[in-house]
Amino acid sequence: MNSPRTKSVPRESAGTPLNTALSAHVLDEIKELPAKYPQPRSAVMPALDLAQEELGHLTPEAMTEVAEALQLDPGYVEGVATFYSLFHLEPVGRHRFYVCTNLSCMLRGANEIVDHVKRSIGVERADQVSADGLFSFEEVECLGACEFAPMMRLDHRFHYDLTAERIDALIAQRRSSLPPLTPALSPEGEREIAKPKRETAKPKGEREAATPKKVTAERPRAPRKKKAADG
Amino acid sequence: MAELRGSHGDQPNHILTRWFGTPDLHKLEVYSSKAGGYTALRKALVDMAPADITNEVKTSGLRGRGGAGFATGVKWGFINRDAPGPKYVVINADESEPGTSKDRYILENSPHLLVEGILIAAYAVGANQAWVYIRGEYDEPYRMLHEAIEEARAKGYVGPKPLGKDYPLDIRLYRGHGAYICGEETALLESLEGKRAQPRSRPPFPAVKGAWGRPTLLNNVETLCTVPWIVNNGGAAYAKLGTEKSPGTRLMSVSGNVRNPGVYEVELGQTFRHVIMELAGGPPEGRRVKVFWPGGSSAPVLPESMLDTHTDMEALAAARSMGGSGGVIVMDDSHCVVRAAHRLLKFYAHESCGKCTPCRIGQDWAVRTYERILAGEGSQVELDILQRVSDGLQNGRCLCGLGDSGGWVIDSTLRHFRDEYEDHALRHECNVGKVMASA
Repeated sequence: MNSPRTKSVPRESAGTPLNTALSAHVLDEIKELPAKYPQPRSAVMPALDLAQEELGHLTPEAMTEVAEALQLDPGYVEGVATFYSLFHLEPVGRHRFYVCTNLSCMLRGANEIVDHVKRSIGVERADQVSADGLFSFEEVECLGACEFAPMMRLDHRFHYDLTAERIDALIAQRRSSLPPLTPALSPEGEREIAKPKRETAKPKGEREAATPKKVTAERPRAPRKKKAADG
Repeated sequence: MAELRGSHGDQPNHILTRWFGTPDLHKLEVYSSKAGGYTALRKALVDMAPADITNEVKTSGLRGRGGAGFATGVKWGFINRDAPGPKYVVINADESEPGTSKDRYILENSPHLLVEGILIAAYAVGANQAWVYIRGEYDEPYRMLHEAIEEARAKGYVGPKPLGKDYPLDIRLYRGHGAYICGEETALLESLEGKRAQPRSRPPFPAVKGAWGRPTLLNNVETLCTVPWIVNNGGAAYAKLGTEKSPGTRLMSVSGNVRNPGVYEVELGQTFRHVIMELAGGPPEGRRVKVFWPGGSSAPVLPESMLDTHTDMEALAAARSMGGSGGVIVMDDSHCVVRAAHRLLKFYAHESCGKCTPCRIGQDWAVRTYERILAGEGSQVELDILQRVSDGLQNGRCLCGLGDSGGWVIDSTLRHFRDEYEDHALRHECNVGKVMASA
């Protein structure tokens, strides 16, 4: 069995049109990172951040480019990216719901919130994206805002005391307009604003490429006869 | 900014949260003028020798607030101040123990408190550079801390000559990327160095060989935030608070089935009854506390009958639990202990870094066993497996405490709620009123 923290990296099949090249200015930014740390290797995660911000998720090609820019082995970079849950190896929606379902939130209705999110955006699993490409979701572990349970993170902000109505309002707001995103964060905070680069950077047909893929590394689960309910 | 749920200097014994709730406390000007901010830094840099500062912290008896509760002053003393070459202070702001939100509470309310604590600590142990490892999901705390550091830089507190002292001090930020294991100090260091966050074997300890191979002091956010008060008021004054072996106050984040969840500053030695029933308002109308986790999800559970347990570390050890991270999770009698334990084991299985076999295999094994039990397919065999896996996870079989933590959840819930486990596994029913599928 793989390490629990190792995700599989989906590979594009030959002939699939790729649009994974990081733009020159991002690569330049990445090359400047190592000098900011006592040892250059520390730049790998900030560099992957920049790549993910540009592409929405980390493609194998992007990881290779990051590795080249930092003079590291591509396998090493991939090893780091697969370890941390904030790096996405699959396409994600422009707005991703990170809903906490750990104990403090679960005791206050987080599972119902997750069900509502799934129904509202029309997806079943964390590796799927809504048909319009706007939304995806993920159940996450404790986000450290337990006095506001149930809570979640969406668009670089925490949202507290969640109810179905609040979720509806957040979704409606995002469907009706593209709200300004909160300034993105970077090491030392130089970057100004997270621009919706993905929308413009992708050629036609990318939406199709972003449709749900089957996960290969899904853990086989014991079939449940009947869902056990918690009161 | 979010609503403040918790202490804000509303009790005379509040130290950390004394000024919380003051408008714009996160701004340096307000922190200095209204909250007496940076007077401790001035005192430390101008009036005290580094060894004196460490001695005051030793006298205070302050113990680390991250989870292990190690004596802070002793830890500072491990750093050889005169060793040549760079030394670092690394701040663990990767708060991710389930049920714990105290460091976020501090960072969102008073980021300068941390900046001041870091600068004092760095000067005391002979470091010129500090790195704050902050969890990636903490967008707002990151922004506020970043702004606080820049304000302190503009003021000269961070820079080549803080307060005229010829001692350069710098603070840098590093974002985590979603891995609970990074709360473990050596895994955090691996991550800071750009690697997969897998714990190192010790020795060498970080004080000798830490970040980038250099002597490193690692402290939790809350721990360092206590330091300015100790410098201002003296270690002896701090030692008067709390109990003899667990002096002072600590922040307890109370969550789950309580009427007023919040982050409360508690003088150590108070009872959990006070914390849960009074400060947090107790369970909802018509409900009873069934069980609580006294120090984050990793702290072995205590049942309602042990609400009078005291909050100091010795009392908790005597109750076969621990103070941990100060995250108090309360569950009322409308919820099922077996399901709660299953959820936590899923957490530990997900967060296991995979380095040590007992943890990598054991947590997952436990999850699958819980799933069989909850699906109504349990028997005595499943209960025996849980106990065996629990034993296998504990007692130092792994490099870090993550393995033990999962074991403690199983062990302590089995110990206090065996009836409930037997209802599920042997009779395929749940005592909170839901009948399980029959096998």
